[in-house]
Amino acid sequence: MKRFFDSELELFRSKLILMGESSVRQARDAMKSLVEGDVSLAQRVIAADDELDRLEIEIDDEAVRYMTLRSPVATELRLVIVGMKASHDLERVGDEATNIAKRVVRLAAEPQLKPYVDLPRMAGIALEMLRDALDCFLDGDAEKALAVCRRDAEVDAINHQLYRELTSFMIEKPGTISRALELMFISKSIERIADHATNIAEEMVYLVRGKDIRHTDEVKRSGGAAALAGPSDAAGSDTRR
Amino acid sequence: MIEIGNLDFHYGPSQALHDITLNIAEREVTAFIGPSGCGKSTLLRCLNRMNDLIDGARISRGAIRIRGVDIHQRDVEVMELRKRVGMVFQKSNPFPKSIYENVVYGLRLQGVRDKTRLDEAVETSLRGAALWDEVKDRLHASGLSLSGGQQQRLCIARTIAIEPEVILMDEPCSALDPIATAKVEELIHQLKLRYTIVIVTHNMQQAARCSDRTAFFYLGKLIEFAPTREIFMTPSNPQTEAYVSGRFG
Amino acid sequence: MSHANHHPFRAKPSLGRTFEAGVFWVLRSTAYIILLCGGFVFGDIVLKGSSTVFRTEFPFVNTTFLTEAPESLYVFEHDGVKREMGDREFRAFRGAEARKAEAAGKPAPEIKATSYVYSAGGIYPCIVGTVLLVVGSMSIALALGVASAIFLNEYARQGRFIRVVRLTILNLAGVPSIVFGLFGMGLFVIFLDWNVSLLAGWFTLALMVLPVVITASEESLKAVPQGFREASLALGATKWQTIRKAVLPFALPGILTSSILGIARVAGETAPIMFTAAFVVRDKLPWQDLERASDFFFQGVMALPYHIYVVSSKIPQNEYTERVQYGTAFVFLLIVAAIATTSIVLRARLRRRYRW
Repeated sequence: MKRFFDSELELFRSKLILMGESSVRQARDAMKSLVEGDVSLAQRVIAADDELDRLEIEIDDEAVRYMTLRSPVATELRLVIVGMKASHDLERVGDEATNIAKRVVRLAAEPQLKPYVDLPRMAGIALEMLRDALDCFLDGDAEKALAVCRRDAEVDAINHQLYRELTSFMIEKPGTISRALELMFISKSIERIADHATNIAEEMVYLVRGKDIRHTDEVKRSGGAAALAGPSDAAGSDTRR
Repeated sequence: MIEIGNLDFHYGPSQALHDITLNIAEREVTAFIGPSGCGKSTLLRCLNRMNDLIDGARISRGAIRIRGVDIHQRDVEVMELRKRVGMVFQKSNPFPKSIYENVVYGLRLQGVRDKTRLDEAVETSLRGAALWDEVKDRLHASGLSLSGGQQQRLCIARTIAIEPEVILMDEPCSALDPIATAKVEELIHQLKLRYTIVIVTHNMQQAARCSDRTAFFYLGKLIEFAPTREIFMTPSNPQTEAYVSGRFG
Repeated sequence: MSHANHHPFRAKPSLGRTFEAGVFWVLRSTAYIILLCGGFVFGDIVLKGSSTVFRTEFPFVNTTFLTEAPESLYVFEHDGVKREMGDREFRAFRGAEARKAEAAGKPAPEIKATSYVYSAGGIYPCIVGTVLLVVGSMSIALALGVASAIFLNEYARQGRFIRVVRLTILNLAGVPSIVFGLFGMGLFVIFLDWNVSLLAGWFTLALMVLPVVITASEESLKAVPQGFREASLALGATKWQTIRKAVLPFALPGILTSSILGIARVAGETAPIMFTAAFVVRDKLPWQDLERASDFFFQGVMALPYHIYVVSSKIPQNEYTERVQYGTAFVFLLIVAAIATTSIVLRARLRRRYRW
């Protein structure tokens, strides 16, 4: 039986999907601006973050309204709760994209430190994770979401490798410290985007199966490989609840 | 559309409503909530003067205006008022007649004899009450052969058959199961497009789901009247908050 | 708990249980006693009455008894045979004998007959009279009773006045029927100068059953759900429209039920009609030889209960009167049963139509 407020839920879903699309675009554009040194694109990314912030507020508002007035239960309740959490993660993805874009603007003033190979590769994986996590939302495929969680380790590993590489740059040539630091932070931002993608994937599993898989062996085992030292660790524990 | 101004109401010596001021907007659903005996039904029954039937019931101060007309004035014909302000009751009460006769009851009272007009009215009203598809093949079966929820929708059909402007609903779902309740709520949402609806309910979720504005009554006083969303999310009065959150003491 | 039959709910003999059983048997035997009494009374009437009403040969019913007026019975011996004849038959017989004797040139034979009044013929006028009295008085009683019940229950403000009215009605129900008879005679027969007539009987009987009808009609009206009235009023109906279309039809089965009681009472009362409507004997049927249509209402009738009264207490008793007494009582019971059955069937049909 269809209910008159089913359309509200549809609107809520489509807002969430729209937000996912925008955050993916933001992250991709930020990386593109880094690789191509496109400052104006970076500036557009920074400017566009407001939209994500607005969407997050709208989604939260709608979720609270829906929970208050429609007393949702079961799948609907999980959808609304997951929607709130995911919108928060997506907003953070947007923030990380903005951070990257801001560093791109700063890096543009100086010559390129090294050819960007690992960063785009890492960003590629992170974006793919994000995409997959969002796809789960569309098609309800929990297996795909679990796969996303497992790939987080790859990103962590690359981040760790970049950390060591850039550290050695700084030791050898102190003149590169500022640029290397910027790149290190960009790397960390990407790593965090992957973390948010993992969060979203976990939330999707919760949405589809109603089962909370956070901090379970399933995910920890895969995350363990990258859990060495360095900023990734700090970043990871920051965002991964 | 309906303006209630400083209304005091008495049942004999006891005062049931204290200084109620409330404006009900056109084509919106306004919900009255509050614990039993808070006067919400009394106020609802003032709107079509059903309280006239009770000995000793009287308005002692203030007025109710519908489209600017004081409905308790001497020159107001109460039958005309009730044609404009229909009512659906807590207990579904179809007459023990056929579905058809139930729907045309009001029209027959008005002296409508034309068969085609009656037939049309039956179909429109039953469609309007989302009941047509379920009963179109047995219009001459007894209204009492329907299920509880269908009976209540039949009562709604009977009410909209006389094309009122306002529909008052006095706990229309209190005797219905959740599925039937959902259907009636769905119907309320559709009816809103054409009618002004005032609904008294004990079910706060129902008020939350169906209504645009909610009035909270307690001990015959209007405690808070605001858009439903505000009443349930950010009530400004602590009593309202206590009531909507279910810890009333 | 070692024994299987040692559970906590095991029955134990006690004073309470014995008492309980005793009470049950006392109550049960009262019901049986009532049944016995009823069975005895009805059985007596049926046994003795059916020999008058039914015949062993075709058409099995004593048509004379049901379709003729009462006559005197002549019992005589003729040619050594004991004969019983009704008045007319006896005259014809005597005439025929006289002619036979005349033809033979003999003097008319003197037939020495003993006559017993009302012991021959039938009770047809009584049946007609009773039916007329019942139909007429119940129509008046229902019209007045339902009207006043509607007023009391639907229109009147429930106050002290209405309480007084109700009390009056209640007291009216307790007035002995002979008082109604006297009142009817005083008001209708003498003061209004209607004489002993159907009309006077109707109104007297109607007044007598009015309390029953009013009380029962009020109860039936009260039993109609308030929701019907509210729904009707909320649809813009006036009070009268509401009563006519949404209350009265649904109260009718109940009103009819109560009027069954009234019918039995109206049909059976003797006292109210003995001064107002009943004749001991009347040769003409009510619709015979009317000069004006209104004369129909201003004539007395015979009635079954009064006839029973007359034949069992106003005439010399003998073995011939007993037949009439029991026969009349039996027919009377049958008629009351028939009227009651009709109302019950009618009520059942109405109930089927208006059930809530």
